[in-house]
Amino acid sequence: MTVHATEPDVRKRSTRATQTPSSFSLSNLLRRPESGALIATVGIYIFFVINGGEFFTASKGTATWLNPAAELGIIAIPVGLLMIAGELDLSVGSVLASSSMTLALVSGHWGQPIVLGVVVALSLGLLTGFVNGLIVTRSQVPSFVVTLATNFGLAGLALGVTRAVTGSTSVAIETDGWAKKVFGSYFGGGTFEVAIFWWLGVIVVVGWILHMSKYGNWIFAVGGDLVSARATGIPTDRVKIALFMGSAFGASLVGVIQTILYNSAQVANGQAFVFNSIIAVVIGGVLLTGGYGSVVGVVFGTLTFSIVGQGIYFTGWNPDWASLFLGVLLLIAVLMNNTFRRMALSYGPRKKKG
Amino acid sequence: MSLKFNTKKSRAAAVAISAGALLLTACGPDSSTDSANGDSNQPAASGDGPKIFVVGGKADDPFWSRVKRGVDDAALVVKAGGGSVTWLGPKNYDNLGPDAAKLIETALSQDADGVVGPDWEPDAMDEAFTKVVGGDTPLVIYNAGGIEAADRLGALNYVGSDELTAGKAGGEFFGQDGEKNVLCVNTLPGAANTEARCQGIAEGIAASGGKSTQLPLPSSKFGDPTAVAQAIKAALLKDNSIDGVITISTGDANAAASAIQQASVQDSVALGTFDLDPTQLDRIKGGTQLFAIDQQPYMQGYLAVSMLYDYINWGLELPQKPILTGPAIINADNVDTVLAGAEAGVR
Repeated sequence: MTVHATEPDVRKRSTRATQTPSSFSLSNLLRRPESGALIATVGIYIFFVINGGEFFTASKGTATWLNPAAELGIIAIPVGLLMIAGELDLSVGSVLASSSMTLALVSGHWGQPIVLGVVVALSLGLLTGFVNGLIVTRSQVPSFVVTLATNFGLAGLALGVTRAVTGSTSVAIETDGWAKKVFGSYFGGGTFEVAIFWWLGVIVVVGWILHMSKYGNWIFAVGGDLVSARATGIPTDRVKIALFMGSAFGASLVGVIQTILYNSAQVANGQAFVFNSIIAVVIGGVLLTGGYGSVVGVVFGTLTFSIVGQGIYFTGWNPDWASLFLGVLLLIAVLMNNTFRRMALSYGPRKKKG
Repeated sequence: MSLKFNTKKSRAAAVAISAGALLLTACGPDSSTDSANGDSNQPAASGDGPKIFVVGGKADDPFWSRVKRGVDDAALVVKAGGGSVTWLGPKNYDNLGPDAAKLIETALSQDADGVVGPDWEPDAMDEAFTKVVGGDTPLVIYNAGGIEAADRLGALNYVGSDELTAGKAGGEFFGQDGEKNVLCVNTLPGAANTEARCQGIAEGIAASGGKSTQLPLPSSKFGDPTAVAQAIKAALLKDNSIDGVITISTGDANAAASAIQQASVQDSVALGTFDLDPTQLDRIKGGTQLFAIDQQPYMQGYLAVSMLYDYINWGLELPQKPILTGPAIINADNVDTVLAGAEAGVR
C-alpha cells in the first residue's frame, strides 16, 4: 500500500467519490472503490465457468461458493467497516467459537430454550466487541495487539469452560422449529443456506450506515484522519467502540448460524475467519490503513475469495495446489485494486459538476 | 478428537494461522488447580505388592479420562494383591515432554516397581525412560511411540494404536460394504498422522478392488465447516463415481454429512470418520453415517497396567508385540453398546 495521495486528500476525495451520486459516466464508474473488486469477481467467475464446467454454473455449484461467501460476508462487512475506520479485529475467530459454544451449552447441554441460547451467544459477541473497543480507545494500544490478545484469551476461556462443564471439546445441540428455519436451514431445494438472507440484511443495513447516513462520514473521517475527526466534534471513541461491537456481533451471528446448521459446536472452529475476513475486505478495495473503501467492494471481495476457494474443486485439478492458486489470485486482485485506487485518487473527477 | 497426544500436537501445529487457539484445543490445557508436580492421586500402598506408576495426560481430558478409567479398573486387581497404582498427570500441556520426563523421575524417586508411560516426545523423555530400564524397573510404553520406542528403550511392550492400521481397517470396512471409490477428506494435509490415516484407507480398500483418493483442503478452510462442506460437495458433484467419504476428525465428519445431504447423494454415498463423539454416535444410530473408527483408549490403560502387574508378580509376558487397542469399527450393529459405554465413561 504505497502510492497514493496524502491522507487528508484521500479522505476528502474518497468521501466525495462515495457520497455524491453524480453523473454515471464510465470514467466515474471506474474510479469507484469497488470497480477493481467487481472486475476481479467477474473475471474469476468467468475463469471457473470456462474451467469448471457445467457443475460449477448449476445451482448446486453456485451454492458451493455462495454459502461460504454469505457466512464470510456477515463477518467481513462489519470488519471492513472497522478497517475503513483504521482498526483491525483479529478476535472474530474466537468470538465465533465462543458464541457457538455458548449456544450449544445453554440450549444443548443445559436444555434451556433456544431463544435464550441465541440471546446469550449474541450478547457475548457484543460484550467482547465492547471490551475490545474500550481497551483500544482507552489504552491507545494498537487494535492488532488488543484483538489478538482477545482472540487467544477467549479461545482459552471457551475451551476451559467447555471442558470443565462437559468434559469434551464438542457439544451437540438439536434444534428444530423456528430457530432451525431462521438460522440453519436450506432453501431452493436444500441447496442455499438461509445465511444468504442474513448477509443481504447486513449489506443493506451497513451499506445505509456507511454510504447514506452521517455516521458513514464519521467512519471515513475517523479512519482518514483521527485528529481532525476529533477536532470537528466526531465522538471518535464511541464510533470505534460501536464498530468493534459490530464486527464481534457479525462473528457471533455466524457462530449461531453454524451451530444450528451443523447441530454441534466445536471449540476449534472459526479461526479461519480471522484472516479470511481481512483478505475479503482487502480484495474488496479497502485500504489496510483505513479511510477508503465501500460495502459493495467488500461484497465483491468476499465473492472473489469464495469463488477462488471453492472453484478449484470443479476443475479436476490436483487440489494440492489450491493454496498456491489462492495466493496468486489474491495478489493479482489486490494489485488490480491498487491500480484502480490510484486512478480514483490521482486523477480525480474531471470537473466539479455543481 | 481422541488422537494420540504427540500427533495431536503436530496436527495442531500444522495450521499456523490458528496455531495458538488450536494448540489450546488440541492439547487441552485448562487452568488447573493441581499441585506443581501435576495431579497425583496416590492411594496408600496397603501391603507388600508392587508399586506401579502410570504417566498419562490430564485426567479431565476426555480422551485421557477414558484411559484413566481403564487404569483405575486394572488397579482394583493390583490393590487386591497388596500393591498400588499411582496416576501422574501433567498440570498442563504447555511443556509436555520435559514435564512428562519429570513425572517419570518422580515415579523413580518413589521406588516404583513398574512404570507405564507414553513416549510423546522421545527427545525429552527417552533419557528418563532409560533410567527406569537401567534400574531394572520394568517399563510399558503406551499410547504414543509405537513398538519402535518400546524396542529402543528396552520396554516390555507397546500398548496403543497405529494410524496406518486404523486406516486400513476403515478401508476394508468400506470395501465390505461395497464402496469402490472413497474420498479421504484431509483438512491437515502434510501432517504425518493424517497422511497415514488416508494412506491406510487407500491400502485397505485396494484389497477389495476399490480405490481412495485424498481431498486435501487448505488451511484457509480449517475450522470452517461451511467451507469444508462446500468443498466436499463440489468434489461429490464433480465426480459422481464417489460412493464413500471418510474424514480425519469428528468436526469434519459433521461438515461431510451436510455436504452429502446438500449434494442429494445420501443414497449413494456412505460416510465414515476417524474418532468418536456423541454426534457421530447419534448419526450412526440414525442411519445417516456408516461407521466411525475408535482407538479404544480404555484398553490402553487397562491392558498396560494389567500386563505390567502380571509381569512383575508372575513373569507373565505376551508374545504379541505391539498390543494394538484399535481400530474398532463402530457401526449400526454395535452403536447401542457403544452409546452405553460412552455414558459410563469407558468409550
